[in-house]
Amino acid sequence: MGKIARQQHRFFVWCVAPSLAVLAVITLLPSLYLLATSFTPLNLTRPETLWDFSQPLESYRQLWNDTRFHNSVWVQIKLSFWTVLLQLLIGLGLALLLNMRTRLIEALRTVFLIPMVLPPIVVAIIWKVIYTPDISPMHGIFRAVGWNVPALITDPNWALTSIIIADTWEWFPFTMLMVLAALQMMPQELLDAAKVDGASPWQLTWYITLPFVQGVLLVAGLFRLIDSIKAFPLIFILTDGGPGSLTEVTNYYSYLQAFNFSYLGFSSAITVVLLAATIVLSWVIVRVVGWGVRVD
Amino acid sequence: MHALALALLLLALSPFLWLVLMSFKTNAEIFRFPPRLLFDATLANYAALWTSEFRNSFANSLVVSVVSTALSLLIGVPAAYALSRWTTRAGGTVTLWILASRMAPPIAFTIPYFLVYRHLELLDTWTGLIIIYLTFNLSLVIWMMRPFYDQLPRSLEEAAWIDGATMWQGFHRIILPLSGPGLAATAILCFLFAWNDFFFALILTRTEAMTAPVAVVNFMNYEGWEWGRIAAGGTMIMLPVLVFSFVVRRYLVHGLTGGALKG
Repeated sequence: MGKIARQQHRFFVWCVAPSLAVLAVITLLPSLYLLATSFTPLNLTRPETLWDFSQPLESYRQLWNDTRFHNSVWVQIKLSFWTVLLQLLIGLGLALLLNMRTRLIEALRTVFLIPMVLPPIVVAIIWKVIYTPDISPMHGIFRAVGWNVPALITDPNWALTSIIIADTWEWFPFTMLMVLAALQMMPQELLDAAKVDGASPWQLTWYITLPFVQGVLLVAGLFRLIDSIKAFPLIFILTDGGPGSLTEVTNYYSYLQAFNFSYLGFSSAITVVLLAATIVLSWVIVRVVGWGVRVD
Repeated sequence: MHALALALLLLALSPFLWLVLMSFKTNAEIFRFPPRLLFDATLANYAALWTSEFRNSFANSLVVSVVSTALSLLIGVPAAYALSRWTTRAGGTVTLWILASRMAPPIAFTIPYFLVYRHLELLDTWTGLIIIYLTFNLSLVIWMMRPFYDQLPRSLEEAAWIDGATMWQGFHRIILPLSGPGLAATAILCFLFAWNDFFFALILTRTEAMTAPVAVVNFMNYEGWEWGRIAAGGTMIMLPVLVFSFVVRRYLVHGLTGGALKG
């Protein structure tokens, strides 16, 4: 077996090496470059700032005192909290409703997935139409019943809510799909036993179904939480971070600093913070799901 | 119960249906409220798109997505197989690395790539986009295919080894032919992720390599608000996505969560 084990080892190394090498070049090196850039005051309009490490922590010091950055984190927290919460509730509700094995329901399930698979830019266009009073059917109905509703995406009271609604619409199918997948693995005997004991449908849902899917809800919520940090096309198309900076999440603020104002050094510092948050959350997922723990 | 589900479905999909309908309307019809249920459908918006630059952008999207998918499969599939069969202590670290690359905010890669591409003259090129799309597609391949191989019994290739086959032959002749469904689903998901990208293309392309999603947005900024054309462009971009998603609907959970959930 010694020879075969060695052969095996060599073969596996040759299989894995290209991927790890490519990943190192295309993800690890850029991350290190990003980190290096964050220690410089890089500004594309001033080439001499490219490798200027004289004050390495200056960008981070500015970040610490930058009220616009603080605001962006707060906007991000509000956006993430509400979208994840709403997506979990709506996804769970629909999954419970659609957890039947009839042909019609199975077809409906597939159609419900459309918002999630649409290209994000198309989702943004769809909501731009809905939120533009001239052509929006929603505003048409409001006018017809005599309500005077302002354009939501330019209204300070409604801008963030309008983004939350659009984002929830885009991603509720994701939680729905995950809960449905879990529900289908639920042991039927458990339900049957409870029914024999005279449990009502509400009791079944509350005491048996919900505890069974809570693990899935946690994982789905974590995935949505990480993804919500990346929110871009909706904000780019609908509000451009405005009015003022009411919908300017951290990711968007970083984009503006880098590609509107050319402050790449400062933007890199913001992005390093974002990246660190992502890695911590990914680590939590790996822990929760228990990947990488192999039992042979 | 069915009626309730159907009503919810209509409500949920109405914004989407509205955009599709809009793409067949004349400008006058778009601004009409209440809308007529039976309007004179026109293909003028699509015709206008097809004779414009948009056609090139559509082709760019197609080329970049297909090539990045092919490359990711070529590099990633052997790795997925090896990681499935090989028990190493580094497994957890590799998993975290792959997950983090999938989850990283696009801007984290965009800034360094933008700076390096300026020197390598890769801005606004197919090559530039293909490379950056590997950042998420290569991880996706490993992520999708590793659990797939976990389910294939080891005895398959072990029997071949006993018959004197080399490791490579075992993989090539026994495992790959059994990977068809998994490979197809993975390929489609890779294609969709690349096709759906907006942010990377927005920053790293200008005119030559501009992809369809960025081109549609440009209708908003520079040529006034041509709603009919915007709707037609959006509909064209989503068409391949809807078709492909329908084909791989069973694998969607898996592709989005990397087998965090068995089933």
